[in-house]
Amino acid sequence: MEAIAAPPLGARRLRRLAAAYGQELVVLGALVVLMVGVGLYNPRFLSDTSLTSVFSGNAYIAVAAIGMSMVIITGNIDVSVGALIGVLGTIAGTLAVNGAPTWVSWGTPLLVGMAVNAVIGLLVAYARIPAIVVTLGMLSILRGGLISATGGKWISGLPSAFRLAQERFFGVPSGVFIAAILTVIAALWMRYSSTGRAIYAVGGNAEAARAAGVRTQGMLVLVFALHGFFAGIAAVLFATQLQVIQSTVPPNLEMSIITASVIGGVSILGGTGTVIGSTLAALLFSAIASALIFVNISAYWLRAVLGLLILGTVLADMARRRRKGRIQ
Amino acid sequence: MRRAWMIVLMGLVAMQARAATWTGGDDLPTSPLPCTGAAPAPAAKPYDGGQPTKPPNLKGKKISVVDVPKLIGIGYFNATSKGIADGAKELGNVDAKTDGPTKANIDEQITFIDNYITQGVNGILFAANDPVAISPVLKKALSKGIHVVGYDANSEPGAREWFVNQAQFNGIAKSLMDNMAKEIGEDGAFAIVTSTFTTPNQARWIAEMAAYAAKCHPKMKWLETVEAQEDNVLSFNGATTLINKYGDQLKGLFGMTSVATPAGAEAITQAKKCGKIAEVGLATPNAMKPYVATGCVKSVVLWNPVDLGYAAVYVLRAAVDGTLKPGDKSVKAGKLGTLTVVNGSEILLGPPYVFTKENINNFDF
Amino acid sequence: MSVAGSAEGRPAAGRRLSPRSLLRHESVLLVLVVITLAMLAHQSDRFFTTDNLLNQGRLMAEVGFASLTMTFVIITGGIDLSVGSILGLGAIMLGVFWKNVGLPLPVAMVLAVAVGGVCGLVNGLIITRFRVPPLIATLATLSLYRGLAEGISESRSVRGYPEWFFRLGQGDVFGVPTQVWILVLAAIFGALVLSRTTFGRATYALGANETAARFSGVAVDRTKLLIYTASGLAASLASVIFVSRVSTTRSDMGTGLELDAITAVVLGGTSIFGGRGTIAGTVLGLVLIQALRNGLALSGVKGDGTIMVIGAVLILAILVSNMLGRDGDG
Repeated sequence: MEAIAAPPLGARRLRRLAAAYGQELVVLGALVVLMVGVGLYNPRFLSDTSLTSVFSGNAYIAVAAIGMSMVIITGNIDVSVGALIGVLGTIAGTLAVNGAPTWVSWGTPLLVGMAVNAVIGLLVAYARIPAIVVTLGMLSILRGGLISATGGKWISGLPSAFRLAQERFFGVPSGVFIAAILTVIAALWMRYSSTGRAIYAVGGNAEAARAAGVRTQGMLVLVFALHGFFAGIAAVLFATQLQVIQSTVPPNLEMSIITASVIGGVSILGGTGTVIGSTLAALLFSAIASALIFVNISAYWLRAVLGLLILGTVLADMARRRRKGRIQ
Repeated sequence: MRRAWMIVLMGLVAMQARAATWTGGDDLPTSPLPCTGAAPAPAAKPYDGGQPTKPPNLKGKKISVVDVPKLIGIGYFNATSKGIADGAKELGNVDAKTDGPTKANIDEQITFIDNYITQGVNGILFAANDPVAISPVLKKALSKGIHVVGYDANSEPGAREWFVNQAQFNGIAKSLMDNMAKEIGEDGAFAIVTSTFTTPNQARWIAEMAAYAAKCHPKMKWLETVEAQEDNVLSFNGATTLINKYGDQLKGLFGMTSVATPAGAEAITQAKKCGKIAEVGLATPNAMKPYVATGCVKSVVLWNPVDLGYAAVYVLRAAVDGTLKPGDKSVKAGKLGTLTVVNGSEILLGPPYVFTKENINNFDF
Repeated sequence: MSVAGSAEGRPAAGRRLSPRSLLRHESVLLVLVVITLAMLAHQSDRFFTTDNLLNQGRLMAEVGFASLTMTFVIITGGIDLSVGSILGLGAIMLGVFWKNVGLPLPVAMVLAVAVGGVCGLVNGLIITRFRVPPLIATLATLSLYRGLAEGISESRSVRGYPEWFFRLGQGDVFGVPTQVWILVLAAIFGALVLSRTTFGRATYALGANETAARFSGVAVDRTKLLIYTASGLAASLASVIFVSRVSTTRSDMGTGLELDAITAVVLGGTSIFGGRGTIAGTVLGLVLIQALRNGLALSGVKGDGTIMVIGAVLILAILVSNMLGRDGDG
């Protein structure tokens, strides 16, 4: 990562870039190092098909992490999103096999996701219940509700038009395409639109934001609803990857999404971070999972390695921030 | 920051050193079947199950039974649960319900069983998440006069009266390896996608497969085993990565769970490797029909989980009625006919079934 | 600073240390517990029996230990997501020390608990030395410790413990399960430390306002180090008891324990923003959840229904408590 941050030429510009996108660069650096390192060890890792699956494998996590990042930037959190994605995927699949038009099967999860999360947002903003409490409760309700409703029956016989994630747009797997587009749009919106900037304001200093005329409570509801919207898209991508839908809550999905956001540089303290970082982090995890298989690390150690890498990234970021603090 | 990464690197190096000799099996003794010919009759073994303490005499009377599978809400245990309900309805004097944890968690399963003991059921059917961990609570049930019968995943023998064994581990292992050898040849290379390394059945099958392969298919190359929980997408990603990693070297993929096998078939289909890579594994027919129909998958191995649940409830009824006593050699199980007692206190459902293009459409579960 | 962060966005009432509002939440909770117990006892005559209640105490002991220290952690405004993984690692190390290294079992037990302490200390060091937010630090160690448990054990179980060892997890002392005694003692100890000692006051002070606490001479870093170490110790103590209760070790033990502990603590009225909470509240939270789990099962509600009810109760309890709290302060 230092290789990226340090070269002398154009130093001022680079330093400014590094200051604004420090953690994103750390994650990008880690990704490049990993790709090159594993590529040298086993060139097959960099083959077309392998890269395609690395990029598309976690596309749905990247999409969900966009919304999660917004929520975390406002200083909140959502541990129920994995369960929500399970529920929304099941809704999409159920509609599809019952003959609903494709746009209905794809669109309904987005609306339901927005509605569910708007309720969470209302409870957080107006009833003033901490987000972790609301979403812990919601996690149980959604998980229990899904099992009650489906009994875990698999959904099969999905019409081929429904399978969004297996499509390709301009030769790019649709998941990658959608994740990239949404990341860019969300990043631009959050940086340049007044509403987008207000999200940072709410997370950075709610009092100041309110004084500046931001309706902080309304913003929270909006952010949660948007998060539900992204969860809906993630659910459609998730549910259309294969020919069957499991109708269960995917294990530890919320942890993967939260981890992608925070490793991508979204500060859990609120107020800083970008969705570019979370998308890169989702990509990094996908690359790590593949890489471990490529370099023959026993799968028994997979989780330990992932933990070490996360810790390494976090410590590197902290060291960088501290050094920056010292320079200033 | 440099120091942090050094630690990470050192950790990685240390872990690689340990990766060499590992298959994903457990370390219990194996008993591979002979390569050809019929399996030898299992050696007779005295009854080694446990008996309930002073059970009330409920012969022919209505009994309440709870079925606590590893977890609820997955297709496989939906099927066993349906079998139990079918059997109970047919018997007419059994009131059965299925309840259990929503995650395959040893602690939660124990809590469920404990609660039902307190509630006071007459019989417990279970599929254990861990054979040892579940045993104390089952012994407690026996001590309260509750009849206990296991299916699918066993406990310690002394903690239940009977265990309905869907198929012996070495039988499944032989069936899987022989089918794979038939499809990819004696010198083919294969890899495995399993659930987790702590799942007892999967670890046992893999250990038996390794032993059987060493004995009967010594030239087949065992590439590696990856973990994918019981999750569709993780299984799909695992299978895809294996295909990408080994390229043309990889000739076969085993799926060790009813989730991993269809996901592996999907990975092969999406990679356009049908016919070049064989998928063999345990799976339910409904999930596999599309892949068998396209010819991408030739053989799927499984017992019928509906029959398994059905047999379990019949065995429990027989134990309550006293028609199945320690030392008996067989038990009548409704439409399944007479089932044999093996290995002391286990009731064998039958040899594993191989589903192919010709017969798969006759099944609906 | 906390998981759910923007303390500034909350009403000031959430952060003020007023004994009145403290009592209020616990009273609400106590009423809720009594109503729940009465309803469940009415639903099933097997619920309110000594046998069943003692047995429930046995079943909730592991989450109980983790919740006690989690209360301290959350009062400082932090969180510890790694407790479930530390439980898994502690269990594995117990087996490794005893079976593979060949140490006597009592020594192995002490060492396994010590390993948990070290894990907690590492959490504390990452948080205090590197200034990594607790949520992120323990999210990383959640993967790391679970990974170590899986790697070291190669996911193999250690079984065959001697009979005396099971006294801890399966036995009774004076008719009450052994671990319930330990849990009660730990709860009393925790309550005393939190309410009667300088350390307890430091815990509240640094949760209410860390900067102010630092300037008024509270040893902030040392307090945090001790608390996270204690959290690790509690988790590994729970692991020894858990192994004794189920008579085997598995690397996936304790998965999801952190969320159960956090639920109990938060239900008990501890503010996730720090600075507020009591051990008594946590104990009530634990009892309520365990009673619901058990009582609903006994009244014929299935597992999926039970977790939905617990989720709804969590949200409603905090909602009601917040509304009453606001009326009182308003």
